[in-house]
Amino acid sequence: MASAASSAPSRRLSSNSGVRLRRLIDALATGVLWIMAASIICLLATFIMYLFYLGFHSLSWQFLTSAPTQSAGGGIGPEIYNSFYILVLTLIFTVPISLGAGIYLQEYARPGLFRSVVQFSAESLATVPSIVMGLFGLLIFVFYFHWGFTALGGALTLTLLNLPALVRVTQEALASVPDSLREASIGLGATKWQTIMRTVLPSAIGRLTTGIVLIAGRIFGETAALIFTAGLSVSANHPYELNPFRSAETLAIHLWYTHSESVIPDVDRVGNGSALVLLIMVLAFNIAARLAGSALTKRFTGRSS
Amino acid sequence: MIDVSPGSVDIREKLNAIHLNVFYGSFQAIKDASLKMAAKTVTALIGPSGCGKSTFLRALNRMHDLTPGARVEGEVTLDGQDIYAPDADPVVIRHRIGMVFQRPNPFPKTIYENVAYGPKIHGERDKATLDATVERSLRQAALWDEVKDRLNRSALDLSGGQQQRMCIARVLAVEPEVILMDEPASALDPIATSKIEDLIGELKKEFSVVIVTHSMQQAARISEYTAFFHLGEIIEFGTTTNIFTRPREKKTEDYITGRFG
Ligand SMILES: Nc1ncnc2c1ncn2[C@@H]1O[C@H](COP(=O)(O)OP(=O)(O)OP(=O)(O)O)[C@@H](O)[C@H]1O
Ligand SMILES: [Mg+2]
Repeated sequence: MASAASSAPSRRLSSNSGVRLRRLIDALATGVLWIMAASIICLLATFIMYLFYLGFHSLSWQFLTSAPTQSAGGGIGPEIYNSFYILVLTLIFTVPISLGAGIYLQEYARPGLFRSVVQFSAESLATVPSIVMGLFGLLIFVFYFHWGFTALGGALTLTLLNLPALVRVTQEALASVPDSLREASIGLGATKWQTIMRTVLPSAIGRLTTGIVLIAGRIFGETAALIFTAGLSVSANHPYELNPFRSAETLAIHLWYTHSESVIPDVDRVGNGSALVLLIMVLAFNIAARLAGSALTKRFTGRSS
Repeated sequence: MIDVSPGSVDIREKLNAIHLNVFYGSFQAIKDASLKMAAKTVTALIGPSGCGKSTFLRALNRMHDLTPGARVEGEVTLDGQDIYAPDADPVVIRHRIGMVFQRPNPFPKTIYENVAYGPKIHGERDKATLDATVERSLRQAALWDEVKDRLNRSALDLSGGQQQRMCIARVLAVEPEVILMDEPASALDPIATSKIEDLIGELKKEFSVVIVTHSMQQAARISEYTAFFHLGEIIEFGTTTNIFTRPREKKTEDYITGRFG
C-alpha cells in the first residue's frame, strides 16, 4: 500500500468527470426529494389556511356553545360534547382491553399457535373498513339489541374498529423496551408481573401515550362507523346528557350531515365552522400526543427521550 | 478429563454445579459440566468466545427460564439444595444469587430508585431503611462519594463505569449470598476496570463471586480458583495459581499462553 502513491503518480485530489457526474446526480436527487417534502408541507399549510379563511368568521362563543337549529343561527355545542363523550367512552373500553392483550402477546405468550391466531385475528380486524364496521354495529347494537341509535353503540363500534391498532401500539411500545432491563429486574428477584409494572410499563409509557392520543384523534374524526350506530341527531331537550342510551351526533358526523343532507339556510357557515373546529381539535390531539409522550417519559425515567 | 474430586481441590462449596447440561433447542451449549464454587472466594470462568461461559453462568441463577427454547439438565446446589428442584422458587433463588451483566443495564430511573429497586420489590417500604440500604450499597460499590449529591438524577447520566458500579450496588442492596458477574468490566476503560477489580476484592470478604472474564490478567489478579471452558466443556479446574503456572491440560496451556488456534 505504501508504494501505491509512487506507482500511481497520476492520482490527484481534484475531481474527474466520473466523480463530477455522481455528484451532479447526488445534488439532483437531494433537490427532488426536498421538493417532494416541501410540497407536502405546502399542501398541508394551504389546506389549513383555506379552512381558517372559510371558517374563521363562523367561530364565536355562541356557535361553540349553542345547539343546532332548523333555522339559521344554529351552533355545535352538543356535537362537541358528544364527540368527547363518545371518545372517552371508547377509550374506557379500548385502553384496558388493548393494554391487556398487548401485554399478554408481547410479554407472556410464547411463540405458538395461540399467539399466531390472536395476532392474525387482530391484523385481519385492522383491515376491516370503518363503513363495514358501522354496518356491523347497526346489525348488532341497533337491531339485534334493540338499542336504536345510541352513544354506547357508537362507542362499542369504535372500540372494535380501533382495538387492533391499539394492541399494535401497545406491542410496539413494549417491544421498544430493551430486554436487558427485563433481565436486570428478574435478576434482582422480581416476578414477571413486578417487572412489567415497575420497569417495562414505565419505560414504555411515553410511546404508549403518544399512540393512544394519536388514535384518540382518529376516533374524534371518525364518521362512517358512527352514522349507523350513534345516529344523526342530538336530543332537543337534553343535549348534554350523561346517559349512554341516546343518540349522539358527533362533530364529524354533523359536518358530513350539514353538507350532504341538511336544509338549514346557513349550511356554509355551520359547515365551514364545524370543519375548522374539527381540524383544530385533531391537530390539538397530535400536538398533545407529542407533548404528553415526552413529558411522561421524562416523569417516569428522569430523562427526556 | 475434568478433575473436581475433593482430592485435587479441597473446597467447601457454596454453589455446586453437578453434571450440568444446557441446550438451546437441539444445540447443546454446556456438556456435562461439574464445578464447585467456594464460599467467600472468587471463581473465574475463562475460555474462548462462544465456549459457553455466559450460558453456564446464567444456569447458576435460573436466568435461562427467560430464554424461550433453553433447557437445563442436571443440578445446581446452593448450600446443598438443588435450585432446579420442583419446589425451588426462582424468585427466591435470584434474591440469594444476584447477577451483574456484561453491559451496564441501569433502569431509566433515578440512581436512588435503581438501588432501592430490589429492596422495594422484596417488600421494604420504610423510607429510612431504604435510605440506609441505598447508602450502604453505594458505599460498598465505591460509588457513594461520586453520586451522593445527585441520587435523584437519572442513572442514565452516569458514565459507563459508574453505571456498572451502580448495577453492582443494585445487586448488593438485595443482600445476596452469591454474585455472578458476566464480564462486568468488558465495556469499561482501564481505570474503571481497576475500580471494579478493587471492588471485587472487597466483595469476596462477604460474598461468593463467580466471574466470567476474557482477560487472563484479570482472572489472575482477582480470583482464587479458575475454570477453563472449551466448546461447552470444563476442560480444567484448579487454583488460579496452578491453572496459570502448571496447567495439566494441553488445551489450557495453549489458551493461557495465547497459542489457541
Ligand atoms: N439464546 C441462544 N440461543 C441459541 N444459541 C445460543 C444462545 N445463546 C448462546 N448460544 C450459543 O451457545 C454457545 C455458548 O454461548 P455463550 O454466550 O455462553 O458463550 P460465551 O463463552 O459467553 O462467549 P463470549 O465470551 O463471546 O461471551 C455459542 O455457540 C452460542 O452461539
Ligand atoms: Mg458471554
